[in-house]
Amino acid sequence: MEIDAEKHLQRKQSLYESLDEKFRIEKETYRGQQYSQIYFARLHMMRTLIYSLIPNWKPHLPVCTVLGLEEGKECIIVGTLYKHMKLKPCILDEYSKERSVAPLVKPHNFMHSDDSLVLEDESGRVKLGGTMLLPSVYVTGTVVGLHGKETSAGEFLVQDILDADLPPQIELPLKSREDKYVVFVSGLSVGSSTSNPLQFQLLVDHITGHLGDEKEQGIAAQIVHVVIAGNSVAVPRGLLNGQNLASKDQSRLSEPIKELDILLTQIAAGLPLDIMPGPDDPANFSLPQQPLHRCLFPGSSAYNSFRSCTNPHSFELENIRFLGTSGQNVDDLEKYSEAKDKLEFMERTLRWRHLAPTAPNTLGCYPFTDRDPFLIESCPHVYFVGNQDKYETRLIKGSEGQVVRLICIPKFCETGVAVVLNMRNLECHALSFGTEFSS
Amino acid sequence: MASGNMKGYFKQKKSGGGRGIAKPKPSKKSTKIQPTHVATLGSDVVQPSTLSAHNLQDDEYDGNETVLRQFDMNMAYGPCLGMSRLARWERAQRLGLNPPKEIETLLKQGKARADCLWDGCV
Repeated sequence: MEIDAEKHLQRKQSLYESLDEKFRIEKETYRGQQYSQIYFARLHMMRTLIYSLIPNWKPHLPVCTVLGLEEGKECIIVGTLYKHMKLKPCILDEYSKERSVAPLVKPHNFMHSDDSLVLEDESGRVKLGGTMLLPSVYVTGTVVGLHGKETSAGEFLVQDILDADLPPQIELPLKSREDKYVVFVSGLSVGSSTSNPLQFQLLVDHITGHLGDEKEQGIAAQIVHVVIAGNSVAVPRGLLNGQNLASKDQSRLSEPIKELDILLTQIAAGLPLDIMPGPDDPANFSLPQQPLHRCLFPGSSAYNSFRSCTNPHSFELENIRFLGTSGQNVDDLEKYSEAKDKLEFMERTLRWRHLAPTAPNTLGCYPFTDRDPFLIESCPHVYFVGNQDKYETRLIKGSEGQVVRLICIPKFCETGVAVVLNMRNLECHALSFGTEFSS
Repeated sequence: MASGNMKGYFKQKKSGGGRGIAKPKPSKKSTKIQPTHVATLGSDVVQPSTLSAHNLQDDEYDGNETVLRQFDMNMAYGPCLGMSRLARWERAQRLGLNPPKEIETLLKQGKARADCLWDGCV
Protein backbone atom coordinates (compact mmCIF):
# COMPACT_ATOMS: atom_id res chain seq x y z
CA MET A 1 0.00 0.00 0.00
CA GLU A 2 1.33 3.41 -0.88
CA ILE A 3 1.78 5.91 1.86
CA ASP A 4 0.23 9.20 0.93
CA ALA A 5 2.65 12.05 0.64
CA GLU A 6 2.47 14.02 3.86
CA LYS A 7 0.33 17.07 3.51
CA HIS A 8 1.47 19.78 5.82
CA LEU A 9 -1.45 21.72 7.17
CA GLN A 10 -0.39 25.10 8.44
CA ARG A 11 -2.22 26.41 11.45
CA LYS A 12 -3.49 29.93 11.00
CA GLN A 13 -2.17 32.66 13.24
CA SER A 14 -3.53 35.80 14.79
CA LEU A 15 -2.00 38.90 16.24
CA TYR A 16 -2.50 38.91 20.01
CA GLU A 17 -2.26 41.77 22.46
CA SER A 18 -2.85 41.48 26.17
CA LEU A 19 -4.79 44.25 27.94
CA ASP A 20 -4.48 42.83 31.44
CA GLU A 21 -2.24 45.57 32.80
CA LYS A 22 -4.96 47.28 34.82
CA PHE A 23 -5.83 44.01 36.59
CA ARG A 24 -2.33 43.48 37.94
CA ILE A 25 -1.70 44.32 41.57
CA GLU A 26 2.08 43.90 41.81
CA LYS A 27 2.63 47.65 41.96
CA GLU A 28 -0.05 48.23 44.58
CA THR A 29 0.92 48.66 48.21
CA TYR A 30 -1.52 48.18 51.03
CA ARG A 31 -1.40 51.15 53.37
CA GLY A 32 -4.40 50.40 55.52
CA GLN A 33 -6.92 51.83 53.08
CA GLN A 34 -10.56 50.89 53.23
CA TYR A 35 -13.01 50.34 50.42
CA SER A 36 -14.23 53.93 50.51
CA GLN A 37 -11.37 54.74 48.14
CA ILE A 38 -12.48 52.42 45.37
CA TYR A 39 -16.08 53.56 45.75
CA PHE A 40 -14.95 57.17 45.47
CA ALA A 41 -12.99 56.43 42.30
CA ARG A 42 -15.96 54.53 40.86
CA LEU A 43 -18.48 57.23 41.71
CA HIS A 44 -16.31 59.98 40.37
CA MET A 45 -15.52 58.36 37.05
CA MET A 46 -19.07 57.19 36.44
CA ARG A 47 -20.59 60.47 37.55
CA THR A 48 -18.43 62.48 35.17
CA LEU A 49 -19.55 60.12 32.44
CA ILE A 50 -23.24 60.31 33.32
CA TYR A 51 -23.10 64.08 33.57
CA SER A 52 -21.89 64.12 29.97
CA LEU A 53 -24.87 61.99 28.93
CA ILE A 54 -27.51 64.15 30.64
CA PRO A 55 -27.64 66.89 27.97
CA ASN A 56 -28.72 64.21 25.46
CA TRP A 57 -31.25 62.76 27.81
CA LYS A 58 -33.07 65.53 29.68
CA PRO A 59 -31.23 68.79 29.18
CA HIS A 60 -33.90 70.98 30.72
CA LEU A 61 -33.66 69.54 34.23
CA PRO A 62 -31.22 70.82 36.86
CA VAL A 63 -28.63 68.45 38.28
CA CYS A 64 -28.01 68.48 42.01
CA THR A 65 -26.34 66.53 44.78
CA VAL A 66 -28.26 64.48 47.32
CA LEU A 67 -28.02 67.12 50.03
CA GLY A 68 -29.08 69.79 47.58
CA LEU A 69 -32.49 68.22 47.05
CA GLU A 70 -35.49 70.43 47.58
CA GLU A 71 -38.93 69.10 48.22
CA GLY A 72 -41.10 68.98 45.13
CA LYS A 73 -38.41 70.22 42.78
CA GLU A 74 -37.83 67.97 39.78
CA CYS A 75 -34.16 67.34 39.22
CA ILE A 76 -31.54 64.76 38.35
CA ILE A 77 -29.26 63.16 40.90
CA VAL A 78 -26.34 60.81 40.28
CA GLY A 79 -24.91 58.47 42.85
CA THR A 80 -24.11 54.91 43.89
CA LEU A 81 -27.01 52.60 44.61
CA TYR A 82 -27.20 50.71 47.86
CA LYS A 83 -29.73 47.92 48.16
CA HIS A 84 -30.99 47.23 51.62
CA MET A 85 -31.67 43.50 51.77
CA LYS A 86 -33.40 41.83 54.69
CA LEU A 87 -32.05 38.38 53.95
CA LYS A 88 -28.48 39.38 53.20
CA PRO A 89 -26.20 37.69 55.73
CA CYS A 90 -24.72 40.15 58.15
CA ILE A 91 -21.53 39.49 60.10
CA LEU A 92 -23.21 40.79 63.23
CA ASP A 93 -25.68 37.91 63.17
CA GLU A 94 -22.84 35.63 64.20
CA TYR A 95 -22.51 37.57 67.42
CA SER A 96 -26.16 37.84 68.26
CA LYS A 97 -27.07 36.06 71.47
CA GLU A 98 -30.25 34.53 70.11
CA ARG A 99 -29.55 32.31 67.21
CA SER A 100 -32.37 30.69 65.40
CA VAL A 101 -32.19 27.12 64.25
CA ALA A 102 -31.99 28.22 60.64
CA PRO A 103 -28.44 28.29 59.24
CA LEU A 104 -26.75 31.65 59.13
CA VAL A 105 -25.96 31.69 55.46
CA LYS A 106 -27.99 30.19 52.68
CA PRO A 107 -26.07 29.92 49.42
CA HIS A 108 -28.89 30.79 47.10
CA ASN A 109 -30.61 34.04 46.26
CA PHE A 110 -31.04 36.59 49.05
CA MET A 111 -33.79 38.63 47.52
CA HIS A 112 -36.93 39.61 49.34
CA SER A 113 -39.97 41.59 48.35
CA ASP A 114 -39.13 44.19 51.02
CA ASP A 115 -35.76 45.11 49.50
CA SER A 116 -35.32 48.84 49.03
CA LEU A 117 -32.83 51.02 47.22
CA VAL A 118 -30.93 54.03 48.51
CA LEU A 119 -28.88 56.47 46.44
CA GLU A 120 -25.65 57.75 47.93
CA ASP A 121 -23.02 60.31 47.00
CA GLU A 122 -20.38 62.11 49.07
CA SER A 123 -22.88 64.54 50.52
CA GLY A 124 -25.54 62.12 51.73
CA ARG A 125 -28.00 59.39 50.95
CA VAL A 126 -31.67 59.33 50.10
CA LYS A 127 -34.19 56.52 50.08
CA LEU A 128 -35.65 55.82 46.66
CA GLY A 129 -39.34 55.34 46.09
CA GLY A 130 -41.72 54.81 43.23
CA THR A 131 -42.24 51.88 40.91
CA MET A 132 -39.83 52.81 38.11
CA LEU A 133 -36.71 51.54 39.82
CA LEU A 134 -37.00 47.83 40.51
CA PRO A 135 -34.92 46.57 43.45
CA SER A 136 -34.88 43.12 41.85
CA VAL A 137 -32.85 44.40 38.91
CA TYR A 138 -30.29 46.63 40.59
CA VAL A 139 -27.55 45.80 43.06
CA THR A 140 -25.38 47.72 45.51
CA GLY A 141 -22.51 49.39 43.73
CA THR A 142 -24.05 50.45 40.43
CA VAL A 143 -23.86 54.13 39.59
CA VAL A 144 -26.95 55.57 37.91
CA GLY A 145 -28.59 58.89 37.17
CA LEU A 146 -32.14 59.38 38.39
CA HIS A 147 -34.79 61.85 37.41
CA GLY A 148 -37.39 62.54 40.04
CA LYS A 149 -38.28 64.70 42.98
CA GLU A 150 -38.18 64.65 46.74
CA THR A 151 -41.46 63.83 48.46
CA SER A 152 -42.72 65.21 51.74
CA ALA A 153 -41.79 61.92 53.38
CA GLY A 154 -38.14 62.62 52.57
CA GLU A 155 -37.94 59.96 49.88
CA PHE A 156 -36.87 60.55 46.30
CA LEU A 157 -39.63 59.52 43.93
CA VAL A 158 -37.97 58.13 40.81
CA GLN A 159 -39.57 59.03 37.50
CA ASP A 160 -36.85 57.89 35.12
CA ILE A 161 -33.47 56.15 35.16
CA LEU A 162 -30.33 56.86 33.19
CA ASP A 163 -27.86 53.98 32.85
CA ALA A 164 -24.48 54.69 31.34
CA ASP A 165 -25.30 52.17 28.58
CA LEU A 166 -22.77 50.44 26.35
CA PRO A 167 -19.40 52.16 26.12
CA PRO A 168 -18.03 53.24 22.73
CA GLN A 169 -16.68 50.44 20.61
CA ILE A 170 -13.93 50.38 18.01
CA GLU A 171 -15.48 49.35 14.75
CA LEU A 172 -14.50 46.05 13.22
CA PRO A 173 -12.99 46.36 9.75
CA LEU A 174 -15.48 45.33 7.12
CA LYS A 175 -13.09 43.54 4.79
CA SER A 176 -13.84 39.87 4.44
CA ARG A 177 -11.82 37.85 6.81
CA GLU A 178 -11.12 34.18 6.70
CA ASP A 179 -12.56 31.72 9.16
CA LYS A 180 -10.49 31.74 12.31
CA TYR A 181 -11.72 30.09 15.44
CA VAL A 182 -11.20 30.69 19.14
CA VAL A 183 -12.00 27.85 21.53
CA PHE A 184 -13.35 28.68 24.99
CA VAL A 185 -13.48 26.10 27.75
CA SER A 186 -13.89 26.35 31.51
CA GLY A 187 -14.48 24.20 34.56
CA LEU A 188 -12.08 21.43 33.52
CA SER A 189 -11.69 20.56 37.23
CA VAL A 190 -8.84 18.15 36.61
CA GLY A 191 -8.52 15.91 39.63
CA SER A 192 -12.12 16.07 40.74
CA SER A 193 -14.35 13.02 40.84
CA THR A 194 -16.69 14.47 38.21
CA SER A 195 -14.06 15.16 35.60
CA ASN A 196 -13.45 12.63 32.86
CA PRO A 197 -9.82 12.61 31.71
CA LEU A 198 -10.75 11.01 28.42
CA GLN A 199 -13.11 13.88 27.58
CA PHE A 200 -10.41 16.47 28.14
CA GLN A 201 -7.91 14.38 26.15
CA LEU A 202 -10.40 14.23 23.29
CA LEU A 203 -10.70 18.00 23.36
CA VAL A 204 -6.93 18.44 23.32
CA ASP A 205 -6.53 15.92 20.52
CA HIS A 206 -9.19 17.62 18.43
CA ILE A 207 -7.69 21.08 18.88
CA THR A 208 -4.16 19.93 18.12
CA GLY A 209 -5.25 18.03 15.03
CA HIS A 210 -4.51 14.55 16.27
CA LEU A 211 -8.03 13.37 15.60
CA GLY A 212 -9.87 12.61 12.43
CA ASP A 213 -9.08 12.76 8.76
CA GLU A 214 -7.65 15.57 6.68
CA LYS A 215 -10.91 17.44 6.57
CA GLU A 216 -11.24 17.46 10.33
CA GLN A 217 -7.60 18.35 10.71
CA GLY A 218 -8.19 21.19 8.29
CA ILE A 219 -10.90 22.54 10.56
CA ALA A 220 -8.62 22.19 13.58
CA ALA A 221 -5.91 24.11 11.72
CA GLN A 222 -8.24 27.10 11.69
CA ILE A 223 -8.30 27.26 15.50
CA VAL A 224 -5.96 30.10 16.37
CA HIS A 225 -6.40 30.50 20.12
CA VAL A 226 -7.60 28.66 23.21
CA VAL A 227 -8.93 30.37 26.35
CA ILE A 228 -9.42 28.42 29.56
CA ALA A 229 -11.73 30.43 31.78
CA GLY A 230 -11.07 29.22 35.30
CA ASN A 231 -11.53 26.22 37.57
CA SER A 232 -9.02 24.13 35.70
CA VAL A 233 -7.92 22.11 38.69
CA ALA A 234 -9.64 20.62 41.71
CA VAL A 235 -7.20 20.49 44.60
CA PRO A 236 -8.12 17.68 47.02
CA ARG A 237 -8.97 19.97 49.91
CA GLY A 238 -9.78 17.08 52.22
CA LEU A 239 -6.05 16.62 52.73
CA LEU A 240 -5.68 20.13 54.11
CA ASN A 241 -6.75 19.84 57.71
CA GLY A 242 -4.20 21.99 59.45
CA GLN A 243 -1.78 19.18 60.15
CA ASN A 244 1.59 18.72 58.53
CA LEU A 245 1.28 16.83 55.31
CA ALA A 246 2.95 13.46 54.95
CA SER A 247 5.04 13.20 51.81
CA LYS A 248 2.52 10.77 50.38
CA ASP A 249 -0.22 13.35 50.81
CA GLN A 250 1.97 16.08 49.41
CA SER A 251 2.33 14.23 46.15
CA ARG A 252 -1.41 13.53 46.13
CA LEU A 253 -2.05 17.24 46.52
CA SER A 254 0.00 18.12 43.50
CA GLU A 255 -1.21 15.28 41.25
CA PRO A 256 -4.11 17.20 39.67
CA ILE A 257 -1.98 20.17 38.71
CA LYS A 258 0.69 17.87 37.23
CA GLU A 259 -1.98 16.14 35.17
CA LEU A 260 -3.28 19.51 33.99
CA ASP A 261 0.22 20.62 33.05
CA ILE A 262 0.75 17.54 30.88
CA LEU A 263 -2.39 18.27 28.91
CA LEU A 264 -1.72 22.00 28.68
CA THR A 265 1.75 21.26 27.32
CA GLN A 266 0.12 19.37 24.48
CA ILE A 267 -2.05 22.37 23.66
CA ALA A 268 0.69 24.97 24.11
CA ALA A 269 2.97 23.02 21.79
CA GLY A 270 0.46 23.62 19.01
CA LEU A 271 -1.18 26.99 19.48
CA PRO A 272 -1.46 29.98 21.84
CA LEU A 273 -3.22 29.26 25.10
CA ASP A 274 -4.53 31.62 27.78
CA ILE A 275 -5.34 30.23 31.21
CA MET A 276 -7.31 32.24 33.74
CA PRO A 277 -7.68 31.47 37.45
CA GLY A 278 -11.12 30.66 38.79
CA PRO A 279 -12.76 30.48 42.21
CA ASP A 280 -11.42 26.96 42.88
CA ASP A 281 -7.95 27.42 41.46
CA PRO A 282 -4.75 27.91 43.50
CA ALA A 283 -4.77 31.68 43.08
CA ASN A 284 -5.74 34.56 45.33
CA PHE A 285 -9.37 34.86 46.37
CA SER A 286 -10.28 38.47 45.78
CA LEU A 287 -10.77 39.98 42.36
CA PRO A 288 -8.83 40.75 40.25
CA GLN A 289 -7.34 37.29 40.59
CA GLN A 290 -3.67 37.27 39.69
CA PRO A 291 -2.24 34.89 37.10
CA LEU A 292 -1.52 31.33 38.18
CA HIS A 293 2.15 31.03 38.91
CA ARG A 294 4.47 29.66 36.21
CA CYS A 295 6.00 27.18 38.61
CA LEU A 296 2.68 25.31 38.66
CA PHE A 297 3.17 24.58 34.97
CA PRO A 298 6.79 23.54 34.48
CA GLY A 299 6.01 21.85 31.18
CA SER A 300 3.72 24.35 29.49
CA SER A 301 5.40 27.53 30.68
CA ALA A 302 8.45 26.56 28.63
CA TYR A 303 6.42 27.55 25.58
CA ASN A 304 5.90 31.21 24.83
CA SER A 305 2.48 30.29 23.50
CA PHE A 306 1.43 29.58 27.07
CA ARG A 307 0.06 32.64 28.85
CA SER A 308 -1.12 32.73 32.43
CA CYS A 309 -3.63 35.56 32.68
CA THR A 310 -5.60 37.48 35.26
CA ASN A 311 -9.27 37.11 36.02
CA PRO A 312 -10.92 39.27 34.60
CA HIS A 313 -9.04 38.88 31.33
CA SER A 314 -8.97 41.32 28.47
CA PHE A 315 -7.12 40.90 25.19
CA GLU A 316 -7.23 41.76 21.52
CA LEU A 317 -6.96 39.26 18.71
CA GLU A 318 -6.67 40.90 15.30
CA ASN A 319 -8.38 44.04 16.57
CA ILE A 320 -11.31 42.10 18.00
CA ARG A 321 -11.56 42.96 21.68
CA PHE A 322 -12.30 40.16 24.12
CA LEU A 323 -13.28 40.57 27.76
CA GLY A 324 -14.22 37.82 30.16
CA THR A 325 -14.26 36.44 33.66
CA SER A 326 -14.32 33.03 35.29
CA GLY A 327 -17.87 33.57 36.47
CA GLN A 328 -17.62 35.18 39.90
CA ASN A 329 -19.15 38.48 38.78
CA VAL A 330 -22.26 36.94 37.27
CA ASP A 331 -22.67 34.31 39.99
CA ASP A 332 -22.65 37.04 42.61
CA LEU A 333 -25.21 39.07 40.69
CA GLU A 334 -27.42 36.02 40.67
CA LYS A 335 -27.41 35.93 44.46
CA TYR A 336 -28.53 39.52 44.84
CA SER A 337 -30.76 40.20 41.86
CA GLU A 338 -32.79 38.34 39.29
CA ALA A 339 -32.91 38.08 35.53
CA LYS A 340 -34.37 35.69 33.02
CA ASP A 341 -30.99 34.16 32.20
CA LYS A 342 -27.27 34.60 32.82
CA LEU A 343 -26.89 36.46 29.54
CA GLU A 344 -29.17 39.16 30.89
CA PHE A 345 -26.88 39.63 33.90
CA MET A 346 -23.98 39.95 31.49
CA GLU A 347 -25.83 42.50 29.41
CA ARG A 348 -26.61 44.52 32.52
CA THR A 349 -22.96 44.66 33.55
CA LEU A 350 -22.13 46.03 30.11
CA ARG A 351 -24.89 48.61 30.22
CA TRP A 352 -23.79 49.67 33.70
CA ARG A 353 -20.22 49.74 32.34
CA HIS A 354 -18.98 47.80 35.34
CA LEU A 355 -17.76 44.19 35.30
CA ALA A 356 -18.49 43.47 38.92
CA PRO A 357 -20.73 46.07 40.57
CA THR A 358 -21.18 43.98 43.70
CA ALA A 359 -17.44 44.18 44.40
CA PRO A 360 -16.35 45.01 47.09
CA ASN A 361 -19.72 44.75 48.84
CA THR A 362 -20.34 41.03 48.50
CA LEU A 363 -17.57 40.02 46.11
CA GLY A 364 -14.00 40.01 47.36
CA CYS A 365 -11.95 42.77 45.81
CA TYR A 366 -8.57 44.43 46.29
CA PRO A 367 -8.89 47.89 47.90
CA PHE A 368 -7.60 50.03 45.06
CA THR A 369 -7.12 53.68 45.93
CA ASP A 370 -6.63 55.49 42.68
CA ARG A 371 -8.84 53.61 40.24
CA ASP A 372 -11.57 51.05 39.78
CA PRO A 373 -10.20 48.53 37.28
CA PHE A 374 -13.59 46.91 36.70
CA LEU A 375 -14.99 49.92 34.89
CA ILE A 376 -15.47 49.07 31.23
CA GLU A 377 -14.13 51.93 29.16
CA SER A 378 -14.20 50.40 25.72
CA CYS A 379 -16.91 48.03 24.61
CA PRO A 380 -15.64 44.53 23.88
CA HIS A 381 -16.71 42.65 20.75
CA VAL A 382 -16.81 39.37 22.64
CA TYR A 383 -17.77 39.13 26.31
CA PHE A 384 -17.47 35.71 27.94
CA VAL A 385 -18.16 34.30 31.38
CA GLY A 386 -16.94 30.88 32.49
CA ASN A 387 -18.15 28.11 34.78
CA GLN A 388 -21.82 28.44 33.99
CA ASP A 389 -24.41 25.69 34.05
CA LYS A 390 -25.13 25.64 30.36
CA TYR A 391 -23.93 27.00 27.05
CA GLU A 392 -25.80 30.15 26.07
CA THR A 393 -25.02 32.89 23.63
CA ARG A 394 -26.59 36.05 22.28
CA LEU A 395 -25.65 39.02 20.15
CA ILE A 396 -26.57 42.38 21.65
CA LYS A 397 -26.62 45.74 19.97
CA GLY A 398 -25.98 49.20 21.35
CA SER A 399 -27.50 52.55 20.52
CA GLU A 400 -24.36 53.68 18.70
CA GLY A 401 -23.94 50.60 16.56
CA GLN A 402 -21.99 48.55 19.07
CA VAL A 403 -22.27 44.80 18.59
CA VAL A 404 -21.30 42.38 21.33
CA ARG A 405 -21.29 38.60 21.32
CA LEU A 406 -22.17 37.34 24.82
CA ILE A 407 -21.03 33.83 25.68
CA CYS A 408 -21.74 31.70 28.74
CA ILE A 409 -19.14 28.93 28.83
CA PRO A 410 -20.43 25.78 30.56
CA LYS A 411 -18.47 23.70 33.03
CA PHE A 412 -16.61 21.14 30.95
CA CYS A 413 -16.43 18.50 33.69
CA GLU A 414 -20.23 18.43 33.90
CA THR A 415 -21.29 19.02 30.30
CA GLY A 416 -18.36 18.06 28.08
CA VAL A 417 -19.07 21.18 26.04
CA ALA A 418 -16.56 23.74 24.80
CA VAL A 419 -17.48 26.85 22.82
CA VAL A 420 -16.04 27.79 19.44
CA LEU A 421 -16.22 31.34 18.12
CA ASN A 422 -15.65 32.28 14.50
CA MET A 423 -13.80 35.60 14.40
CA ARG A 424 -14.98 36.33 10.89
CA ASN A 425 -18.64 36.82 11.80
CA LEU A 426 -18.68 36.48 15.61
CA GLU A 427 -20.80 33.36 15.37
CA CYS A 428 -20.61 30.70 17.99
CA HIS A 429 -21.20 27.02 18.16
CA ALA A 430 -20.77 24.32 20.77
CA LEU A 431 -18.21 21.56 20.59
CA SER A 432 -19.30 18.65 22.68
CA PHE A 433 -17.38 15.54 23.62
CA GLY A 434 -18.92 12.33 24.82
CA THR A 435 -17.31 9.16 25.98
CA GLU A 436 -20.39 7.08 26.68
CA PHE A 437 -21.16 4.47 24.11
CA SER A 438 -24.69 3.20 24.01
CA SER A 439 -24.65 -0.54 23.92
CA MET B 1 0.19 87.03 108.10
CA ALA B 2 -2.70 85.59 106.10
CA SER B 3 -5.88 87.05 107.36
CA GLY B 4 -9.26 87.74 106.04
CA ASN B 5 -9.94 86.29 102.66
CA MET B 6 -8.23 82.88 102.45
CA LYS B 7 -9.62 82.41 99.01
CA GLY B 8 -7.28 84.98 97.64
CA TYR B 9 -4.32 82.97 98.88
CA PHE B 10 -5.14 79.83 96.96
CA LYS B 11 -5.25 79.78 93.18
CA GLN B 12 -8.78 79.95 92.01
CA LYS B 13 -10.08 77.11 89.88
CA LYS B 14 -11.47 78.29 86.62
CA SER B 15 -15.12 77.53 86.10
CA GLY B 16 -15.76 75.65 82.93
CA GLY B 17 -13.45 73.13 81.30
CA GLY B 18 -10.64 73.61 78.84
CA ARG B 19 -6.99 74.10 79.36
CA GLY B 20 -6.04 76.94 77.15
CA ILE B 21 -6.20 75.01 73.89
CA ALA B 22 -7.77 77.12 71.25
CA LYS B 23 -10.83 75.18 70.28
CA PRO B 24 -14.52 76.05 70.22
CA LYS B 25 -16.46 75.80 73.47
CA PRO B 26 -18.23 72.46 73.65
CA SER B 27 -21.85 71.90 74.75
CA LYS B 28 -23.30 73.62 77.80
CA LYS B 29 -23.07 70.66 80.13
CA SER B 30 -19.30 70.77 80.21
CA THR B 31 -19.25 74.08 82.10
CA LYS B 32 -20.57 72.31 85.19
CA ILE B 33 -18.08 69.48 85.32
CA GLN B 34 -14.45 69.83 86.28
CA PRO B 35 -12.59 67.61 83.85
CA THR B 36 -9.16 66.24 84.52
CA HIS B 37 -8.28 65.19 80.99
CA VAL B 38 -8.97 66.97 77.79
CA ALA B 39 -9.96 63.77 76.05
CA THR B 40 -12.87 63.09 78.35
CA LEU B 41 -14.52 66.45 77.81
CA GLY B 42 -18.18 66.20 76.95
CA SER B 43 -17.56 67.45 73.48
CA ASP B 44 -19.69 66.74 70.45
CA VAL B 45 -16.70 66.67 68.15
CA VAL B 46 -14.47 63.62 68.57
CA GLN B 47 -10.94 64.93 68.78
CA PRO B 48 -8.21 62.46 67.97
CA SER B 49 -5.16 62.47 70.15
CA THR B 50 -3.09 63.95 67.31
CA LEU B 51 -4.82 67.30 67.47
CA SER B 52 -4.16 67.73 71.15
CA ALA B 53 -0.63 66.42 70.84
CA HIS B 54 0.35 68.76 68.03
CA ASN B 55 -0.58 72.10 69.45
CA LEU B 56 -1.12 74.84 66.99
CA GLN B 57 1.35 76.81 69.03
CA ASP B 58 4.05 74.74 67.35
CA ASP B 59 5.35 77.20 64.83
CA GLU B 60 6.74 74.52 62.57
CA TYR B 61 3.30 73.21 61.74
CA ASP B 62 1.49 76.44 61.49
CA GLY B 63 0.68 77.74 58.03
CA ASN B 64 1.63 74.74 55.92
CA GLU B 65 0.08 72.08 58.08
CA THR B 66 -3.22 73.94 58.33
CA VAL B 67 -3.45 74.17 54.55
CA LEU B 68 -2.66 70.48 54.23
CA ARG B 69 -5.21 69.57 56.87
CA GLN B 70 -7.83 71.53 54.96
CA PHE B 71 -6.86 69.51 51.89
CA ASP B 72 -7.24 66.28 53.88
CA MET B 73 -10.68 67.22 55.11
CA ASN B 74 -12.02 68.39 51.77
CA MET B 75 -14.70 65.92 50.73
CA ALA B 76 -14.44 66.70 47.06
CA TYR B 77 -11.13 64.86 46.80
CA GLY B 78 -12.44 61.72 48.41
CA PRO B 79 -11.45 59.90 51.59
CA CYS B 80 -8.00 60.69 52.94
CA LEU B 81 -7.33 57.56 55.02
CA GLY B 82 -4.98 54.94 53.71
CA MET B 83 -3.31 57.12 51.11
CA SER B 84 -0.32 59.38 51.24
CA ARG B 85 -1.23 63.04 50.72
CA LEU B 86 0.72 63.19 47.49
CA ALA B 87 -1.01 60.08 46.11
CA ARG B 88 -4.36 61.62 46.96
CA TRP B 89 -3.39 64.86 45.29
CA GLU B 90 -2.29 62.97 42.19
CA ARG B 91 -5.53 61.04 42.12
CA ALA B 92 -7.51 64.27 42.37
CA GLN B 93 -5.43 65.68 39.53
CA ARG B 94 -6.04 62.62 37.38
CA LEU B 95 -9.79 62.69 37.98
CA GLY B 96 -9.89 66.29 36.79
CA LEU B 97 -10.73 67.83 40.15
CA ASN B 98 -8.08 70.60 39.83
CA PRO B 99 -6.58 70.49 43.30
CA PRO B 100 -4.51 73.59 44.20
CA LYS B 101 -0.98 73.51 42.88
CA GLU B 102 0.52 74.81 46.15
CA ILE B 103 -0.34 71.57 47.88
CA GLU B 104 1.71 69.61 45.38
CA THR B 105 4.71 71.90 45.77
CA LEU B 106 4.42 71.77 49.57
CA LEU B 107 4.33 68.00 49.58
CA LYS B 108 7.14 67.62 47.10
CA GLN B 109 9.36 69.91 49.13
CA GLY B 110 9.21 67.32 51.86
CA LYS B 111 8.86 69.66 54.82
CA ALA B 112 5.33 68.66 55.71
CA ARG B 113 3.87 65.36 56.89
CA ALA B 114 3.52 62.93 54.00
CA ASP B 115 0.49 61.23 55.46
CA CYS B 116 -2.88 62.57 56.35
CA LEU B 117 -3.96 63.77 59.74
CA TRP B 118 -5.47 60.52 60.95
CA ASP B 119 -2.82 58.18 59.61
CA GLY B 120 -1.90 55.54 62.13
CA CYS B 121 -4.59 56.74 64.55
CA VAL B 122 -7.58 54.95 63.14
